[in-house]
This record gives sequence, structure tokens and C-alpha cells, in this order.
Amino acid sequence: MAIALTVGVLVAGGVFMMLRRGMVRVVIGFMFLNHGVNLIILAAGGADRRGEALGGSPDPATTADPLPQAFVLTAIVISFAVTIYLLVLAVTGDADDDTDLELTGREMETPTFIEDAGGSTALPADELGPRAVRRTGSHSSRRRRPPGGRP
Amino acid sequence: MSADLLPLFVVVPLLAAGALVLLGDPRGLSRTTLLGVLGVDVVASLWLVTDLRDGPTVLAHAVGQWPLGVSIPFAADMLTALMLAMTGSLTLVCAWFGVVSQQARKRFFAPLVLVLTAGFNGALLTADLFNLFVFVETMLLPSYGLIILAHRGRGRLMQVTSARIYVTVNLLASTVLVAGVALVYGVAGTVNLAELSGRATEDSAVAIAVAVVLFALSVKAAVVPVHGWLARTYPFMSPTVTALFSGLHTKVAIYAIYRIYAVVFDGAEEFLWVGLVLFSVTMVVGVLGAVGEQDARSVLAFHMVSQIGYILLGVALFGAAGLTAGIFYLLHHTVVKASLFLSIGAVEIGYGRYPLGHVTGLLRREPLTAVVFFTAAMSLVGLPPFSGFVAKLSLVLAAFGEGRTAVAAVAVVVSLFTLLSMLKVWGKMFLGEPEDSAREVLGTVGARKPRIPAPLVAPALVLVLVTLTFGVGGELLLGVAAVAADGLVDPRAYVEAVIRT
Amino acid sequence: MSLLVILALAVLLVPAAGVLGRRAGRNAGWPLAVGLLALAGGLVAVWDDRADPGGVVQQVPWMPTLGISLGLRLDGLGLLFGLLVLVIGAVVVAWSSRYLGSGGHASFYTLMTFFAAAMLALVLADDLVVLFVAWELTTLCSFLLIARSGPEGRDPAIRTFLVTAAGGLCLLTAVAVMWAATGTTRLSAVLADDVWDASPGLAAVVAVLVALAAFTKSAQFPFHAWLPDAMVAITPVSAYLHAAAMVKAGIYLMLRFTEALHAVPVWNVLLVSVGLLTALMGAVLALQRHDLKELLAYSTVSQLGFLTATIGIGTEYAAVGAAVHVAAHALFKSALFMAVGVIDHQAGTRDIRALSGLARTMPATAGIMVLAAASMAGLPPLLGFVSKEAMFKAMAHSPAPDAAVWLVGTVAVLAAACTFAYSVRMLTVLPGRAPADAPREAAAAFLAPVAVVALAGPALGLAGSVAEPLLGAASTAVAGSGAEPDLGLWHGWSPELFMSLAVFGLGGALVLARRPVDRVLGRRSFPVTGVAVVEAFRRGSIALGEQVGRPTRSDVPRRHLMPPVVSLVALAAVGLLTVEVPGLYGDPSTVTDWVLLVLVLIGVALALRARSRVGLLTIAGDVGFAVALWFYALGATDVALTQLLVEVLTVVVIVLLLNRLPSTFHRTGEVRGWVAAAVAVLVGAGAAAATWLLTDRRALSPAGRYFLEEGEEQTGGTNVVNTILVDFRALDTLGELTVLGVAGIAIVVAIESRGLLPKRPSPITEPDASPIRSPRDNMVVLRVTARTLGPVIVALSLFFLLRGHNAPGGGFISALIGAAGIALVYLTAPDDRVSRMRLPYTRFIGAGVVVAVVVGLLGLLEGSFLRPLHVDVLGIHVTTALVFDVGVYLAVVGVIVAAISRLGVDEKEPLPLRHAGSASSVLHSGPPATTTTSKPHSRETAPVGTVHDEQDRTRPPLPERPDPFRGAGPAAGEGH
Repeated sequence: MAIALTVGVLVAGGVFMMLRRGMVRVVIGFMFLNHGVNLIILAAGGADRRGEALGGSPDPATTADPLPQAFVLTAIVISFAVTIYLLVLAVTGDADDDTDLELTGREMETPTFIEDAGGSTALPADELGPRAVRRTGSHSSRRRRPPGGRP
Repeated sequence: MSADLLPLFVVVPLLAAGALVLLGDPRGLSRTTLLGVLGVDVVASLWLVTDLRDGPTVLAHAVGQWPLGVSIPFAADMLTALMLAMTGSLTLVCAWFGVVSQQARKRFFAPLVLVLTAGFNGALLTADLFNLFVFVETMLLPSYGLIILAHRGRGRLMQVTSARIYVTVNLLASTVLVAGVALVYGVAGTVNLAELSGRATEDSAVAIAVAVVLFALSVKAAVVPVHGWLARTYPFMSPTVTALFSGLHTKVAIYAIYRIYAVVFDGAEEFLWVGLVLFSVTMVVGVLGAVGEQDARSVLAFHMVSQIGYILLGVALFGAAGLTAGIFYLLHHTVVKASLFLSIGAVEIGYGRYPLGHVTGLLRREPLTAVVFFTAAMSLVGLPPFSGFVAKLSLVLAAFGEGRTAVAAVAVVVSLFTLLSMLKVWGKMFLGEPEDSAREVLGTVGARKPRIPAPLVAPALVLVLVTLTFGVGGELLLGVAAVAADGLVDPRAYVEAVIRT
Repeated sequence: MSLLVILALAVLLVPAAGVLGRRAGRNAGWPLAVGLLALAGGLVAVWDDRADPGGVVQQVPWMPTLGISLGLRLDGLGLLFGLLVLVIGAVVVAWSSRYLGSGGHASFYTLMTFFAAAMLALVLADDLVVLFVAWELTTLCSFLLIARSGPEGRDPAIRTFLVTAAGGLCLLTAVAVMWAATGTTRLSAVLADDVWDASPGLAAVVAVLVALAAFTKSAQFPFHAWLPDAMVAITPVSAYLHAAAMVKAGIYLMLRFTEALHAVPVWNVLLVSVGLLTALMGAVLALQRHDLKELLAYSTVSQLGFLTATIGIGTEYAAVGAAVHVAAHALFKSALFMAVGVIDHQAGTRDIRALSGLARTMPATAGIMVLAAASMAGLPPLLGFVSKEAMFKAMAHSPAPDAAVWLVGTVAVLAAACTFAYSVRMLTVLPGRAPADAPREAAAAFLAPVAVVALAGPALGLAGSVAEPLLGAASTAVAGSGAEPDLGLWHGWSPELFMSLAVFGLGGALVLARRPVDRVLGRRSFPVTGVAVVEAFRRGSIALGEQVGRPTRSDVPRRHLMPPVVSLVALAAVGLLTVEVPGLYGDPSTVTDWVLLVLVLIGVALALRARSRVGLLTIAGDVGFAVALWFYALGATDVALTQLLVEVLTVVVIVLLLNRLPSTFHRTGEVRGWVAAAVAVLVGAGAAAATWLLTDRRALSPAGRYFLEEGEEQTGGTNVVNTILVDFRALDTLGELTVLGVAGIAIVVAIESRGLLPKRPSPITEPDASPIRSPRDNMVVLRVTARTLGPVIVALSLFFLLRGHNAPGGGFISALIGAAGIALVYLTAPDDRVSRMRLPYTRFIGAGVVVAVVVGLLGLLEGSFLRPLHVDVLGIHVTTALVFDVGVYLAVVGVIVAAISRLGVDEKEPLPLRHAGSASSVLHSGPPATTTTSKPHSRETAPVGTVHDEQDRTRPPLPERPDPFRGAGPAAGEGH
């Protein structure tokens, strides 16, 4: 029964943190969630047998089921990998790791029209960032913006 | 093709990716390796398709040759082979677009795509639930890298925010998936699909545990109400990556749902109503959302949600006709959606990325791109003579055949809104006055010279030719899809093959 | 020459038209016209030497899986419409070779021939699906032909496409219903099936659906708006598609289904009422129009209304009336359209008020217009009169009750009177003085095709018997043998004659009172126009779409995580209600469990209320350690060790980030907090219930028993968990290793793509003199321990690696220990610059993956991928699983070094875009192109685009852009 309650506490804490603001808190929320799920995996092997699966021929009546332990090892390592990546995402934002950004999807726009000087091969879409731009005529002042940016 | 070569589908791309990273991702070599390995992958999967059509219907192999339930089984029936072939060629075409659009010049693009392919092939071939989780993760990590991939110092904020949403939602889905697999092991004592076959109908505990797994997969497949993340993340990656993801991630989830429902639930009748309701709502919400979006790729991304509703309808109409229609729709959608993304990508590269209405009147200037996008759009809507028509027709016929008239009516009405959204994109972008940057360019650099070089549109054109061939010669794919559907309706062949390894 | 060959030739004509259009320009019209006529001849040839009188049938399998075959059948009706499509098509194409300007017309001719082929397929189709395919192809052609007529053609084209596609979908549903009911898609079989009488409900449904499809295609009320809207297309398109052929597809469909549906009351009432309403409304609206082309458009709507009403009656006379009027209408309407085209081409305008005196300036065109208009008005001795008579006859002799017959008769007479009025109104352009710049008469080649069609009217009117075999075949195909037409001009004093006389009387009155009629009609326009309805539907659905997409159109992860979590709660609830589980298998919990539960509870509670990042970090570490204790208590030592080390390294990585983030968390809204809390508690309860109900209820699983009993014997290792990881389920570990490696690469990609936030100034504000000011001096203890601990850690790591197979250890644990050592070396570095890692971490990752995969491939030697090989080296029993572990080791170390190396230290050169927060290190120049939202907490995120990249400006812009930050060498970017 204690395992089930621990799982409940960890999952509840994890989900609560996950729904808060700020990327680091979301990451720690996911860490708690992963702890909870790892405990579920181990519980699935039968928590009444708790002997260590070591030595020549461990007695199946008292030794813990080794298969879920292998699953948990894999799950821990995978969630560790994703957690580090999420942490990196926390610090590659614009100002801080705040997640309540009100973006209009227009930030992905190509700010200025890119004219590749010589070559005919155009540059990829996200390449069209701050490259030096050769202005072609008085151009951007006439840009038509639909009113009220936020749809 | 002998069964123990199946793991090579995973190993060869993985080895190539590892070697490339080991050599520091040299530019020239990485591009040729990428295209080479993907080419080999496509050829091998086509060989598998022809092999399965004539010879035994299922190839199975226990990795490591340990006894049943201990080792991880790889199994390939006609559905697997078809998905391998279609998605392999899709990845090849997207990689080709990446090379042409200088996308492949970004560091680590080639290894990431190769690991993505390896993960996808593994997820299709494995018949072990935990191994499915591992391969899904093997697919996800390279995608996390591909989302944020940009030339040095040129990543956009939107890429980060969409990466955050993508990673968190998929991490949640994976966590729920592994929890589901654990519960399945807790109740049934095995995670081997063959050993689980039919048990969900006997034991309600197994049914609930597998339901958790199916729920996690439907989050990955972006079924309503968990569809928002897909519509908000796919438009904000680079075009190549969006086209790649459209053919891979949701498809692996859909494949798993097809496989698990066919094997573990043995196509149980009593749960189908849940699918019918959910997927009808998905179709409607997806297409309405698509009509309301402001820029081309958002429309197409939101549209995927609706099309996924159509594909999964095949499962909800469990039966030979319904599954054949669903599988055909799955393969057709892979081709058409990628073609749409690639042609819109070509326009974005040529004219920059703006909301609809800024760059207009391209028909005169870019006739090839206009025709390619229009053809793919009409195929998506389901107009003849394209594969979309055969897909929609077979789905509607299947729905009527099983008396599900309400669902069939929804499918028909939704295709009208599909047409509306496609005309909104095509109309605004290609018809009307040559506007703004298009006219402004007209003024300066030779009015008639198309801004989008032909090689950039070639990948989309190839995919359009594929959809045309499967439209006119629908039987080519329908026959094979029917064989795959039989493999799902009566999974005994699949189960016995895995047990015999 | 079989039907299939004719259809194939028609399809081949399309690419030929493209080639001719590009090379021969506008003159491509003539050869194409000859081609179309040849096909018409072929059709007649097939019809003449047909074996059975019913028609020629041909089956080719198309999609056997769905039971669909390419069935073609030529019967009387098919022949009439086929000839109509091909002949009128040839005439229009020939005529357009003079109407079009110079230059290439490839797309026009391609689409026109493609349309002709599609219509031919439609009328020859003997399979419901082939019928539907051809139907949709005509819709597609009409959209493209309207859309290509310039920018102003966009909205009409889209509206037309929407309306006709909606009709197409009704037809698709009808096809599916019929297929489900009769089990076959063969048209002739379906029509002859007895299901129509058996289940009247089904027949009614199919009747409505087919009627709706026909109404949208033939522009009947309420879908009539798209036809005048489509007049924006060039005149040949209007003449061919929107007068003679495409709009007749609906009529053909109704005629084809009359055989099955003529007795269905819904069908009769619907067709007659809508037909007559459209006829009257079309005629009245035509009277209002000043533009000749628009007038003809509404006239077409009206004439199609007449046809629909006649077909609705469903008797033999109706079939005859419809067949004759179809031919008559096609002839005079295409002639009128082409004549108007000639006038527009010569005079430059189509406005009745601007044109006058054409009789004198363009006599030939005037003559043609008179003939065609007279036929439209239904004056004897023209074919128009004969067909109108036949229709009136059908209306007069319909089996309906007398009141209905009188009502139908009067409305028909009224509409015919208006038709008479607007036909005469068209002719008002002829008399009067010629204007100053009088239009010249068109060239002979331009007028010849029009003349052919116009003269057919009087010719067939006088010598009706010539057309009798063709029209007879069509009407008998529809209504059985009784429907024989007799096309003489005089049939005695019959009711239809009186109706015609009434028409001439009323029409003449309308003509004489032209001015008051114009004034009355001028003002009153319909409150709502069809175009507005379609626009409203389009705008309404777009607005609805925005509402539907609104909840998910946000970049806040919470908004995307909430739906899955809430659905999970729902799933848990359903699970709780429906699951029945056996009793507990053993007693799962011991005393220590409750202690650990309390430990975890305290940790999580503290974490929820933590405000400062460092605080939360430490508490999270403690919870991780408590969970490690749990794993140890459950007998999973390997797992506990891994959990411990993973927790340590996660804390190290977070610490590296702290100095780039603010010290406290952002405030989350009050309401959001409570909602999140409620949902979290529910999910937690669900998880706890699932764990309690779905675990510990069975004996040890067979797989578990196998590992325990035969693990050591099969693999030679006594650490069973490790043997599973590297022997039995090595594929999982390979996947896991790849995941870790790719995570390292993803981190490098993310950092290179966007660069990290700049480090914030350290909050410690100590005066210079104070001893704890400089970090270097305070780390003496750490540096000494690091120097002594370093080699110990490396030895420990190798020790765990080697013993992994037999005791707690293995690839992951040893690698994590090694990584902890590296973290220690990093932490003790005096400052950032010095401590740059010398290890090429991406190569480690690559090496790890390659080693693991190669070891797996070695397994192939013994039969299967990842099959461990056992070999005795110098008496020590060594297995390839160990080498596999080395691969794991390399990958894990690679990831950690990547994270520490790229996160811990500052960039060699700051990336160009880092302008947020710290003083803007990069020039802002050039107009800020985009503004973003003004929400307080959102940063001024002017997109990176406005930032100029100094290096780039100095460099000459090369098409093949070498990356300025990466030197020549491939691996220059990392490690050194």
C-alpha cells in the first residue's frame, strides 16, 4: 500500500509542478513524475519479493523480479537524457526561462526580404535571419500588416 | 529476405549515424551517406514488400535468439513492410529537399535524420511493448535536435517555444506510455505482443492497462482533445523537418494503435464506439482549426489533425473494408502531406515566410510550384484522379458498408471544409494580384525569372507523381493494403510467427 | 472501334492540345476541332453497328478490391449528350481560334480538351464511381478555367468550386448509399435493381441527394448564384462549359436516374417546384440585366429550370420534351454566347445601352443573333418552338391532379413569356443609328462556326424528322419504348398550342411595355443574393475555425499539457469503475516503506512551496535520494546506484544553469495554482489506485523466473539485472545508448542554434577586501580533494565497469561515476576559460554508438544481431557483452562532457543574437521590421532579423556561404 501512496504523492507533485510557470519548475515536475512512474514499474514486478537478484541461482520465491529492474534502469537513463535537454531549452530562450510568453506566431516571419546577390539558390527559411540585406528599392515601409497583430 | 536480417533496418542507419558523428559530420560525406543509406533502406523495404506478397505473410525473428518472452521479437507483416517502404521513400525525398535547400549543411542534420529513421524502423518492427517505448524515444531525441536546428546563431525564439511544447508533451506521452507498459506487465506478466494477443477481451485489468498505452499513443497521434501541440509546433520548424515529422511521428503512433488493437483487443466490437466518436470529433475540429489559421503552414499543420481522424477511422471501422481503407489512407496521407509541406517550404525559401495574403499572385511567376501545390491539395481534399479520391471513397464505402452512416456523413462534410482551407491557401498565395514582395521583385530582377529554382520543387513534384499513380492505378496499393488488412483482421499468422521464433 | 479506344483518344487529345497550344498559339483551335469531330464520328460509328439495340457495353477492371470496374456503356441518352459535348466543343474550340489574342494558349486548350474528355467519360460511364470521377473532373476544369482568367477571377472561381464540390459530395454519398443497398456499382444494374420499389425511404434519400447534386451543377435555385458569377471567365469558356456542356451534366444525371426515380413522389415534387421557381426567377433576373453576357447567364439558369421541371414530371412526354430542349438549348445558347463574344471582340463592350445600330454595321452577326434569339423565344418554325411545345405537352398531360397541372402550366407560361421578353430585349441592340466608331463586321472565319450552330435551329425546326432517330433513341433510353418524338411543327389544336399562343401574347405585351417594366424591375433586387450566401458561408466557417483553434493557439506549455492530464484523469475514473482484479498475491508493504513514504511526502511538500531556485534544487535532490532508498528497499541495488548518480549529475547540470536565470521563480496566477492543484491531486489518486489495483496480484512472471533460474547459466554473469541489460534485452540498451548519445548532440545543436542566455551578475556583493570575495581562494579544500580523488574515481569507474556482469555495476553506473569525476574536475577549475574540456565529446558519442552496433553485428556470426559471443582469453572468460558496455560507457561520458562543457563555460565568441538582458552587444540598425505584443511580461522580442552581423557585411556575399564561425577543419567547433 505504501508504494501506491508514494507513487500518488510523486505523480501529484510532479503534475502540479509541471503545470506551473517557468521551465525549470516544469523540468523538476517531470523529474518527480518519472520517479513515480519508475516506482510503478518496480511495483509491477511484485513488491512482496524483495531479494537482490545476485549470485549463482537466486531463489525465485524471495528474489525480486529482475525484468522490471532492467526496465527502470532504461527508463531512468532515458528520462535523464531528456531532462538535460529540457534544461538546455530553459536557457536558450530570449530573456529567462519564463514559459508564459504571448507570441503571435509572427515572430517566425522573415523580417526583411532577402535577395541573394549572385547565386540563384535561395537560402533556407530559417537561414533568412539577420544576414546582411541588400535593400532592393524602398521596400519595407510599404509592408502591409493586417491590423491588430494578435489574431 | 530472411527474418534475421530485419534488425538491419535499425542497425544500418544507426551505424551510419554513429560513424558520421565519429568523423565529426564532414559536409560532403554526410550528405552522400544520408541519401545512400536512405536509398538502401527504401530498396530493402520494397524487397520486403514483394517478398511478403508472394511468400509467407509474416517474417519474425527473436533478437539474440533467446526463447519466447525473454528476447525482443522483431516481426514484419505486410502492414509493417508497406509503412517501411512508404515512409522510407518519404524520408529519402525529404532528405533530398534538405540537401537541395542547403538544410543539410547544418551540423548534425544527417546523423539526426539517420537516427530518426533507425528509431522509426525499430518502432515498426518490434513486437515488444517496452522496446516500442525505447524506439519511440530513439525517434524523439533526434527530433528534439531537428526542431531547434538552425544555422549557427540563427535559431528563432519560436523554435525554442515550439521545442518546449513538443518536448514536454512528448515526454508526458512517453512517461504515460512506459507507465502503461509497466501496468500491462504488472497485470499480464509479459510485454510480448504475441503473448498478450486477445487477453484484453478476456481480462478487464489487461484492457485498462493497454488502454493507458493506447491513450499515450493517441496523445502522440494528436487525437482531439490532445491535438493542440501538433498544430502549434509543426509550423515553426524548418520546412524539411516539418515534412519529415508529418510522415514519421504521428504515423508510428497510428501504426502502433492499429497493431495493438488488432492483436491485443482482437478487434473487439464493444470499444469501437469510443473510436468512432473520438475520431469524428478529431476530423471536424482539425479541419475547422485549419480553416481558421493565418499562415500556410499552420493551416497544413492543423489539417494533419483532421486527416489523422480519417486514418484512425479505419480502426474504428474494424473489418476488412475499413482497415483496407484506413491503411490506404495512411499511405496516401504520408505522400500528400509531405508534398504539401515541401512545396510550401519551397515558396517560403523563395519568397520568405509571411502570413497568407502578403505574398500573393504567384501563379504567373511560379507555375510549376502552383501546379504541384494545387495537385497535392486536391489529392488531400479527395478529388479524382488522385490517390486521395480512392482513399476517401474506400473509407466512405467502408463506413456505409458497416452501417455507420453518421460517421460517413461527417467524413463527407469535412472534405468540403478541407476544400475550403486548401482553396484559402492556394487562392491567397497563387491567385489574385501579384502583391508586395512578389511584385517588388518583379520590378527589379527579371519579371519572368521564377524565384523558386526547379530543383527545390522537384521533391514535391515526385511525391505528386506518386499520388497521381496511386490515384489512377489505385489497385496497385489497394491490393497490397487489403493483404495488410487481412493480417490485422485475423492476427493469428502474426502471433504464431512471433511464437515460433 | 470500341468505346474505350474513343475515350483513350479523347484523353490523348489533352496533351496534344497542350503541345499545339504552345506551338501553334490560337490557331490550335482548328486541328482540335477536327479531332473532336472525328471522335463524334467514331461515336456514331460505334452506335450504328451496335449488336443489341439497348447499347454497347464494355467492362475493364479498375479497382477489383473495391469491386469497381471501368464500365462504359453507349445508349441513346449517352449518344445524344456525347454528340452534343463533342460537336459544340468542336465549334467553340474552332471559334476561339479567332476569338483569342496572339501568344501561347496551351493551358486554355489543354483544359478545354480535358473538359471535353471528362464530359465524354461522364456520359459514357456505366459505373457509379466512374460517373462520380468524371463529375468531379468537370468541377475541377471549371474551377481552373475560371481561375486562370486573371486576378479578379479568384473569388468567383472559389465560390463556384465550393458550390459544385458540395454537389459532388452529395453525389458521392448517393453512390455510397446505392452501393451499400445494391452491393454493386454498375449503373445499369443499380438502376434496374428492385430496391427502389422495395424500400421507398432509401429511394427518397437517393432522390434528394441526386437532385441536390444536379441542382448545384445545373445552377438551380438556391445554388444558381455561381453561374452568373462565373461569367468572369472568357467567352469560349462561358459558351462551352457554362451554357452547353457542364451545366447539362446535372440534366444528364437527372435524366439517367429518371429510370429508377420517376415514380418517387419526393423526386417529382422537388424537381418540378425547384425547376419552375428557377425558370421564373432566372427569366425575371435576365430582364433586369444590362450586360448581354450576364443576361445570357440568367437565361441559361432559367432554361435549365425549364428542363428540370420537365424531367420532374417523369412521363414519356417529359423524356421527349427534355431531350429535344436539351439539343435546342445547346444550339441556340452557344450561338448567342458566341455572337455576344463576337460583338464584345469587335465593339469592345457588351452593355445593351452602349450598343446600337448593329444591324447596319455588323449585318451577319445581327442575322445570327436574330435566328438564335428567335429560337430561344420559341418562335415557329425554329427548333426552340418545337422543343417548347414538347415541354408544354409534357406539362399539360402530366398525371398530377388538375389543380397542379394548371398551376404548373401558368408558371411555365409566365416564365416563357419573360423568356420571350428578354430575347427581344437582346435584339434591341440591332436597330438605331450606328455610333461614331462603328464596330467592323467580324471576319468570315470568326463567324463561320457561329453560323453553323445558329442555322441548325431553323434547319432542324423545319426538317425535324432528321433529328428524330437521335432524339428518339435518347428518350426511349430514358422512358422506355413509348417515348417516340414526332417533331412536326403542327399537332392540331392541342393544349400546348394554346399555351404557346398565351406566351406570345404575354411576351409581346411585356415587350411593348418595355420602359415601365424596366423601371419596375430596375429597383427591386432580391434582398439576398446567392453570392452573398456563399461568401457568408466562407467567412463564417473561417471565423468559426478561429474560435475552434483559439484554445490551442498558445505557446504556454501548460495549455498543451493540461488536456492530456485531464483526459488521463477521465481514463483513470473509467478504469476504476470497470476493472475487477483478483486478491493481493503477497503482503507488499513493510515498516520501512511507511518511513520512506513520509520522507518522500515531506520532500514533495517542501518542493511545491519552494520560491527560490536553489531551494527547489536541493529539495528535488533530496526527493531523488529518497526514491533511491525506495529502490534499494525493493531489492534493486543496480537501479538505486543509477538513481543516485543520475540525481547527482542532474543537480550538477541545473547548478550550471542557475547563474543564467533569475534567482526566484515567476509568480503563477492564483486561480491557475488551484486548478493545477486539483488536477494534480486527481491524477495522483488515479496513479495510486492503478498501482494498487494492477500490481502485486500475480505470481512471478515466467520471464522473471527464466532470468533468475537460467540467467547465470546462459550468460555467465551473476548480476541478473545486468545480464538482462547487456545480453537478453541488449536491443533496449542499444536504443537507450542511442537516446543518450543523441541527447548530447541535441544539446550541442540547441546551444549552437540559439546560444545561451548571458550569465547574470553574481548576487554576492562582498567588498573587495573580504576573504570570501574571490572564488579561487575559497576552493582550496575542493581542489586538494579533487587532485587526490581524481585517480580514485577513475579507478572506481573502471572497477565498476569490469565487474558489472557479476555484481552491481555495468556500463551506465561506471560511466556515471566517471562523469561525476569529470564534473568534479570542472568544478575545481579556477575560472571558466581554463577549464575548457579537452575531450572531443561528440566523437565519444559517435564511438560509443559505433562500438555497440559493431558488437551487435558480431552477434550475427552466431545467428542473430546482438547475440553475445563467449571467448576465453588467457583463461579469463570474456564475453562481447563487456565490449557492449564499453560502448555504453563512451556514449554516457560523451553526453555528460557535452553538457558540462557547453553549459558551464561561456562561448568563445558571443553568438550574434545574444542581445536580451545584458547590454546589447550587437548593433541595432535598419528599421525594426516587426513589432510584437505589448504584454508586460513578454520581452521586447524584436526578431533576430534586425540584428546586423558584422562579420557578414565585410565579407563579399558569396552564393556558397562558408560558416564564418567554423574554421576550415570539420571539428573546429567543439572541444578545442
